[in-house]
Amino acid sequence: MSLAVPDEVGSALGTVVPSVEAAPETQSTGWRHRHLLDLDVVTWPEIELVMRTTDAMREVLGRPIPRVPALRGKSVTLLFYEASTRTRVSFEVAAKNLSADVVNIAVASSSVSKGESLVDTVRTVEALGADMLVMRHAVSGAPYLAARTFAGSVLNGGDGWHAHPTQALLDLYTMREHLPGGSVAGRKVVILGDILHSRVARSNIWALTAAGAELWLCGPATLLRGFEAWAAAGGAAGRRFTVTSSIDDALRDADVVMALRIQRERMAGGLLPSLREYTARFGLTRERLELAKSGALVMHPGPLNEGVEIAPDVASGPNSVITEQVTNGVAVRMAMLYLLAGAQAGGVASEESLR
Amino acid sequence: MTVATAPSVGEIAAELEISGAWLVDPAAGREGPADLVVREGLIEAVTWLSGGDADGIDANGVIVAPGFTDLHAHFREPGFEDAETVATGLAAAAHGGFTTVCAMPNTNPPVDEPGVLRRIEAAAGASGSPVRVLVYGAVSAQRAGERLASLGELADAGAVGFSDDGAPVHSTPLFRSALAYAGMLGVPLVDHPEDPSLTDGAEANEGLVASVLGLRGWPAAAEEAAVARDLAILAEVVRDVPTARLHLTHISTRASLALIRRAKADRLPVTCDITPHHLALTDEWLAGSRDWSWQATGNPWQAGSIVAAPYETALRVNPPLRAVDDAIACLEALADGTADAIATDHAPHTAVDKDVEFGLAANGISGIETALGLILEAVDAGRLTLLRAIGALTIGPARVLGHTQRHAFAEGNPADLIVFDRSDRWRVEASALASKGKNSPLIGCELPGRVLLTVAGGRMAYGVDEG
Amino acid sequence: MSSFGQPRLIMTADEIRRAVVRISHEIVEKQAGTEGLVLIGIQRRGVPLARRLAGAIAEHEGVEIPVGALDITFYRDDLSLIAQQPVVKGTALPFDLNGRTIVLADDVLYTGRTIRAAMDALVDFGRPQAIRLAVLVDRGHRELPIRADHVGKNVPTSREELVRVHLVEIDEEDGVDIERLEPATVGVAG
Repeated sequence: MSLAVPDEVGSALGTVVPSVEAAPETQSTGWRHRHLLDLDVVTWPEIELVMRTTDAMREVLGRPIPRVPALRGKSVTLLFYEASTRTRVSFEVAAKNLSADVVNIAVASSSVSKGESLVDTVRTVEALGADMLVMRHAVSGAPYLAARTFAGSVLNGGDGWHAHPTQALLDLYTMREHLPGGSVAGRKVVILGDILHSRVARSNIWALTAAGAELWLCGPATLLRGFEAWAAAGGAAGRRFTVTSSIDDALRDADVVMALRIQRERMAGGLLPSLREYTARFGLTRERLELAKSGALVMHPGPLNEGVEIAPDVASGPNSVITEQVTNGVAVRMAMLYLLAGAQAGGVASEESLR
Repeated sequence: MTVATAPSVGEIAAELEISGAWLVDPAAGREGPADLVVREGLIEAVTWLSGGDADGIDANGVIVAPGFTDLHAHFREPGFEDAETVATGLAAAAHGGFTTVCAMPNTNPPVDEPGVLRRIEAAAGASGSPVRVLVYGAVSAQRAGERLASLGELADAGAVGFSDDGAPVHSTPLFRSALAYAGMLGVPLVDHPEDPSLTDGAEANEGLVASVLGLRGWPAAAEEAAVARDLAILAEVVRDVPTARLHLTHISTRASLALIRRAKADRLPVTCDITPHHLALTDEWLAGSRDWSWQATGNPWQAGSIVAAPYETALRVNPPLRAVDDAIACLEALADGTADAIATDHAPHTAVDKDVEFGLAANGISGIETALGLILEAVDAGRLTLLRAIGALTIGPARVLGHTQRHAFAEGNPADLIVFDRSDRWRVEASALASKGKNSPLIGCELPGRVLLTVAGGRMAYGVDEG
Repeated sequence: MSSFGQPRLIMTADEIRRAVVRISHEIVEKQAGTEGLVLIGIQRRGVPLARRLAGAIAEHEGVEIPVGALDITFYRDDLSLIAQQPVVKGTALPFDLNGRTIVLADDVLYTGRTIRAAMDALVDFGRPQAIRLAVLVDRGHRELPIRADHVGKNVPTSREELVRVHLVEIDEEDGVDIERLEPATVGVAG
């Protein structure tokens, strides 16, 4: 990839300035989805487009004033049914960096028990002028209901166990940025932890299998229920991944290790004996990390339970790119808000692309 | 085929002539071209045609069958009239070709004592519909699963069986007592087999689709384990109470059907029914596929068969829509007689209860009006013969209820029949449904077999002129 | 895109070369030297143009003027373009803008919206002393009060015509052609 500016300029910056040799008119991939609900319907060229747009947004973030007017006059509403400071702030910063107006709605508890239904809330938000709706909800599938009701664009900020598409995109971006060769194709990527309840894991399965990574899922058998069958079905479709409860097999020669948060509720649900036992068998410690390739990336979607799923010295050690994930998160979300606004303006009908 | 114009709903079918239709008579084990005359609500003459008269008449056009019996429907009255009333339920039944409906007792108050039963019968009478309502009594007081309801009084008041449906009878000692007591009364116990300890918070069939969609799994074992328990208890109870009878409702898995098949081979007095949606739909519909079960591949993402948005709440039902293999097992069970009947489990819900996030939506499909259409799709695909399908909707349910089979087309009997056109496809729209429950996953689909006429007990129940 | 006729050449490679040399002299003349000058090319073809101007100034003045690239994708006022032209080409401005005299370089000046967007972008990077504009072709039809300080060639055009600049850094050869389009296909404003 050559630079369209004098090479000295680009290297002086230290950042990769994207460039495309072909004239824009010959590139057929635009972003054609009105919503971003999950990565199952996003093609690889579309993911590449998001990656390139994120590069440009990263450059914007590096400026003295990290702001562009691309979404000026647009209203973005953040509708969070699940408390989440980090994701919500990330989206808020992303929207503001694009000069959008931001409205924050934090719903304390589930819609049904407290009066206003999700459908009513979405209609109200729309009536108040929202162009885009970023939603986080505890129930899988909730954003699809919102997308049916809302005339603008819905961006899924995490629904139940199901999907967290921007997380998977920023994970992929971070991996590509730090892996030699800039690609995850053929690389061994391990997701470690409570796979069963993880929307991060599910969205990463779609993204990483599309990218051609050698994906491994590792955790206690009780937290892997159903994934062996999915792996068998996915293998048949070319989207293959491996499921194991052996942390040694999983970590051996890994290029990337992504640890997931383990929650206390899993004990109450009878799925795990204790956190202590989880840490002993599956915790990502410095010793275990040595099984992986030297220079392997350590990732975590946050928030971390240091000392439980990940040792503190690993979380802040030289392999860790966890803080980069956060920065990239803002850039990826800027890219997605930008592309969705373009799809809306370009007239992608909501019926054409409900998913 | 000609049908003389019939009077309005409730009135005697004074004069009805159907000529040159395909008559299906499961009780006689016979189907073929025939003429039929009804006078003053009674069957006057049935003439089977042959030779030249039978020319051009086949099973693809207008069909006459005995009126269907639904072993399992929820009419929501008393207590939940915003979802359905007895009157609207009966209208929906007639529209779907059903002339007898068995109403489940999970109303509010539940049918755990005769007064509520009589209320439902009164509502049926007041509706003016000639469709017959039979009422199940609850097994336990308040359907709380702790003490027996007034089973004897309910039987005396006409309860046609006992069920806590909506829920299983989880307490095994109570189940055992209920089975014995009901057997003594000569009335079947209808159990909804589910092990609730395995289905807490469950949303969708445990399998590939639930895994990908991040929905809490509903294991097949939850049904199989309950069926196994029920059959084990039945085997012991029949030694003391030879008249005990168990009916397992809405069976949905291959494993459960295997247990039932073996129990029948061992001559246990058990029967079961399967819903039309468990025959024709699969959990792949939750992912957005619209393949019938006999077309589905098991992986809608690989097959590229996803055509609709996922998480459609009209698909949330108990027991959940199962994997392809289970649906195929259901079709096989109907064909080989392991399943005695098709019952709709008609479960209307208000928009308030359904137009919410998937995990918060009520369970249930409003299915009494689309049952025939789904079954005919299976017949069209060669998965079921027409005679067997109609039998599962008529003589099968009658046998389960222990009713002496009144021969539907014997001269002198009250006319209890339906006329439908197999080649006439109709579009399922919310406005076309007579039920208050618009929670059908088939809205927008086209189904075969538009019902033209329903006559119940000699009286008009539904005719296309009424719309 | 269909056209009524073949594209017509309106500037040859030599004419482009001479225009670049002339403009490079004009830039220095207007600044009375090279002090404080910075060249910023507007993506895409403004960038090689800026580089050529810097090269020409280096030849006759012996001074290396800093060159940057500016992508105005995020400053357009028409979001529907995103779906058609999603690819972002990148901004690199590795110098301090404050107090400098910026000469923006672009291939074609048409409605002026691109230049307005470019000035919007520059304001976020700092406060220059002055901003000037050098273009290879001015084709008229301004929709905003924007004026070029340096023009390679003034070409009167109609709205049904499309002006294309080819530069060997991006295209196969140097040249500027004009093509008449069917009215319905007149598209993106420059």
